[in-house]
Amino acid sequence: MSKLFHHRMLRSNTGRNVLAGALLMSALAACSSGGSTPAVGAGAGGTYGFAQAAQNSSAPITVWVDSDRAAAVAAFTKANPGVAVKVVTYDGSANGSNSFKTKIGLLDRAGQGWPDVVFSTQNNDAAWASQKTNGKAAFGAVLDQGLIPPGVLGGFTKGALDPCTVSGHVYCLRNDLAQNVLWFDKTLMTKFGYTLPTSWEDYQTLSAKVAQEHPGYLTGGVGDAWTPEVFMWASQCGANQVTGPRAVTIEATGPNCQRAAKLIDAGVANKTLSTVSVFSPGFVKQYAGKVLMMPGPAWFAGAVFNNPSALKLPAGQLGVAAPLAWSGAQPVTGDVGGGTWFISSHSKNLAAASKFAQFVTTSDDYQVDLAPGYPAFGAAAAKWISKQESSKYYATSLQPIIDAGGQIWSGWGSPEFSQEAVWAKTMTPLVNSGQSIAANLQKWQDALKNQAQVTGYTVK
Amino acid sequence: MSDLRTAATGLGARGGRAPRPRSSLMPAWPGVLFVTPYVVLMIVFGIAPAAYAIVLSVSKADGGFAGLANLKRVTGDFRFVPALQHVALYIGIWLVAMIVLVVLLALMVHQVRRRWARTSVRFVYYVPGALAGASSVLLWLFMLDPAASPIGFVLRWLGFSSFAQTIAPSHLPVILAVIAFWTGAGGWIVVMYGALNNISGDLLEAARIDGAGAVQIAIHIQLPLLRKWIAYMSVLSIAAGTQLFVEPTLLSQASNAIVPNDYSLNQLAYQYAFTLNDLNGSAAISVLLLIVTALASAVFVTRGGLFDTEPTS
Amino acid sequence: MSTLDQRRRPDGRSRDVPAQLTGWSLRAVVGLVLTGFGLFFAVPIVWLLAALTKSGEQLTRRGPFTPGSLHELVRNWQELRHFQGGVVTHWFLNSVYYSLAALVLTLLVSVPAGYALATLRFRARRTLLVLTLVVMLMPSTSLVLPIFLEMNKVGFVGNPLSVILPWSFYPFGVYLTFIYFSTSLPGSLLSAARIDGCNEFQVFTRIALPLAKPVVALVAFFSFVQNWNNYFLPFVMLPTSDRYPIQVGLSSLLASTPAFNPSSAGADSLGFPALALATLVSVLPVLVIFLFSQRFLITGMTAGGIKE
Repeated sequence: MSKLFHHRMLRSNTGRNVLAGALLMSALAACSSGGSTPAVGAGAGGTYGFAQAAQNSSAPITVWVDSDRAAAVAAFTKANPGVAVKVVTYDGSANGSNSFKTKIGLLDRAGQGWPDVVFSTQNNDAAWASQKTNGKAAFGAVLDQGLIPPGVLGGFTKGALDPCTVSGHVYCLRNDLAQNVLWFDKTLMTKFGYTLPTSWEDYQTLSAKVAQEHPGYLTGGVGDAWTPEVFMWASQCGANQVTGPRAVTIEATGPNCQRAAKLIDAGVANKTLSTVSVFSPGFVKQYAGKVLMMPGPAWFAGAVFNNPSALKLPAGQLGVAAPLAWSGAQPVTGDVGGGTWFISSHSKNLAAASKFAQFVTTSDDYQVDLAPGYPAFGAAAAKWISKQESSKYYATSLQPIIDAGGQIWSGWGSPEFSQEAVWAKTMTPLVNSGQSIAANLQKWQDALKNQAQVTGYTVK
Repeated sequence: MSDLRTAATGLGARGGRAPRPRSSLMPAWPGVLFVTPYVVLMIVFGIAPAAYAIVLSVSKADGGFAGLANLKRVTGDFRFVPALQHVALYIGIWLVAMIVLVVLLALMVHQVRRRWARTSVRFVYYVPGALAGASSVLLWLFMLDPAASPIGFVLRWLGFSSFAQTIAPSHLPVILAVIAFWTGAGGWIVVMYGALNNISGDLLEAARIDGAGAVQIAIHIQLPLLRKWIAYMSVLSIAAGTQLFVEPTLLSQASNAIVPNDYSLNQLAYQYAFTLNDLNGSAAISVLLLIVTALASAVFVTRGGLFDTEPTS
Repeated sequence: MSTLDQRRRPDGRSRDVPAQLTGWSLRAVVGLVLTGFGLFFAVPIVWLLAALTKSGEQLTRRGPFTPGSLHELVRNWQELRHFQGGVVTHWFLNSVYYSLAALVLTLLVSVPAGYALATLRFRARRTLLVLTLVVMLMPSTSLVLPIFLEMNKVGFVGNPLSVILPWSFYPFGVYLTFIYFSTSLPGSLLSAARIDGCNEFQVFTRIALPLAKPVVALVAFFSFVQNWNNYFLPFVMLPTSDRYPIQVGLSSLLASTPAFNPSSAGADSLGFPALALATLVSVLPVLVIFLFSQRFLITGMTAGGIKE
């Protein structure tokens, strides 16, 4: 009976406002009574700021993850055997494939079949998931109006939820912070007698030395599509400045971009930068045991180094240092992904979906014990660091990761189109065919401009 | 059955068909009834979608008339001309390879003496046709990776040391043509071989008596008789080629987006529809493809004289 | 190098031998070329069969054509079967269901239509025939998005009917039955039946259908193969994973193979050999049919027409 009333109320705007008002009152009442808060915020049947489908608290939830996050789902079902979860693995929208967006577009037209929770490896999905498209409700549920408790939202590291925030509202939860640091093989560095570089210039000099003295050893990689996020972002290259909801400024040929491009060219030429993807079998075959250092995101630890199907670096060798900085510039670093979890506004079991999303982003069971990367949730992050350090896998303290978390340069935005896709399409073939990135920055500029315009941005 | 064989193996004497007595008392309604389900399907899935696409392509998103604005927008998209070039280049290379190699191989198979050899060669050529679309792409992903491929030494000899180098966008038209040839050639070789078999032995005998060698026989007798088949194969190949979608989509996934997700015109139409939410632009691309191929096939059907549309009643 | 056939009998009459190359060099060239292409066509398939019996490491370390072990094959099969909770079997069964359902509908629709076009008189018969031919030669994917919108309007998106119904529209099948009935159904038989008092429906069911087995098999072959291998239509019409046919499912499998997708180095990932096995599984029915169907191919493609 109350559900019927609930529905009728939601159909009209006034109804919704009245209900929202009533909700606020009851929420305040609930808070002041100090009762135990259920996992889902302000009382059952709240509006959470969007029109809900009919709720069924025992409905199974469908979760879309990439195969890396399947462990998160497994951890959830282990800890919550009462919640039925259906898993679908997809490509996680990796490499700018847009599959998250296009699949949801298809489902919007079908009018049914939406998943309840979706994981995306990209950071730019909130831009479209928060908007109505074709008159259909926005896919992403607003999270900061009760669906996720404010305490939880506040527990994320400062800035972690920025890619998820559109017009002041939060639409997704961040999985991990992927700040770039300098990974290095301490044993090899000591063996060869090298000192760790602290600036990109030193890094370039050292790479030249390595090429001379120990050819075949690597100091970094440019074989993956996130190369601009490692090198260009850290150099404060102005190729990705999002200045408004539909405006970008693209300056890909400036001196900041030039210096990073020249560094890439030098490294590719003297073969200290790998041109194959770090996940390809070719990389493992060629470079296992030969990676001196590698600037890369925090999740390299579990995904590249401490991974039996990748480099499989033995314990006690991997060290991490502060990200490299250009001399004279403030130390900044980039960020490679980090992943975001969305809850569907069409979900029929928001309670379970919310529980799931909170578990996978904040729980110790997954984020501390199993996650390969540095959690975005503050409490979990601190525990993750101590757990990793206590595992004695690393040769150094992990403090640089924590410090780098606060150094992510804010001048690189998250527009709706994929930076990685543009780089992979335009620049990676140049790298693979031995051409210069520095000489072709205008190509990158044009490609970015074209892609931005086609996606509906005005470009300055 | 023999009638079917006679009719079906086309070339050569068709075998006279007895004219059927026409009954002026035969009503028209049974015919209409029999074709009704088919006509319904044709309208729903053939004519209506084409009409709908045309309407969409000249409409605005909110339903108003837009004229050629959608077409202008789509053709002005920086990805349109490259996509067009990709598809055209791919079809061009594939077509040339198909025409030259299929005919050549069919002629050669025909020359083989031993029956078991002929049969087994045809069989080996034909089997890859079972893998179409996604399956053949997956198989070729392995073939194109110098680290895992059985022909890795060929790739390395060509200078490619990684998968990313092998599928550099400039190589793609050739790679796609190779994959399409691998799956499609065998079937056509078998068909051409069947056609060659129907050339009357007397004709060949007479030619040889006149002193023609095998090559001359091929050029002056067999090839002209194969011309219609070659045309048929070309039309079907062009139609299939413009549909390029699944191969670049899977390659895009497998190559970390070095192959972009808007490589072919069909992919571009898909991106317009579901990434940019621009159904009108997507329809404009579909209509473009439709018009080009409908024209080609209409010309072929009516002028090519290839198809017998006369019934016998 | 003369390739003239020298085997002429002394009295000038030539022996009844089809044109054959007699020159060794040309024969050698032909043999070389045919073998070369034979390798081109066969090597990937042989490799595939060998690959699915190996483990991931054996694949890169051992020679490409060395067979693996039955044990590895079973392991790969288990890996595939357990992927995402047995979804691969589900996809396979989906393919079977969609293709067979479309096949039945295609036959029900196309055979009577072809018969009518061939033997009955009615207005617009010729137009229908020409339309059929034109549509037959057009690419089907350019119509997929408009059909999607149509299906969307009636709310069929995500429903298996949204692929089964479009697949049932098969002008090539109609054309094949038209050719068959117009060439191998003696008109005298039909008139005799009509004189005997059969109505048109009875003529069709009692005379034409029993004789139609060859063309039914032919249409079934082409229709099934085409439907099984179709990608774009189900990709768009059936966006939820558990409705995929196996061809579309392959893209999900690809997304879960670490070597091809960096972010998938995780718990639910697939090794190379399992992916190779999936490739084989995805074409199994068609492959089996192909092994026995060269004859069909010739009859179907050369049907009636290519007029001399």
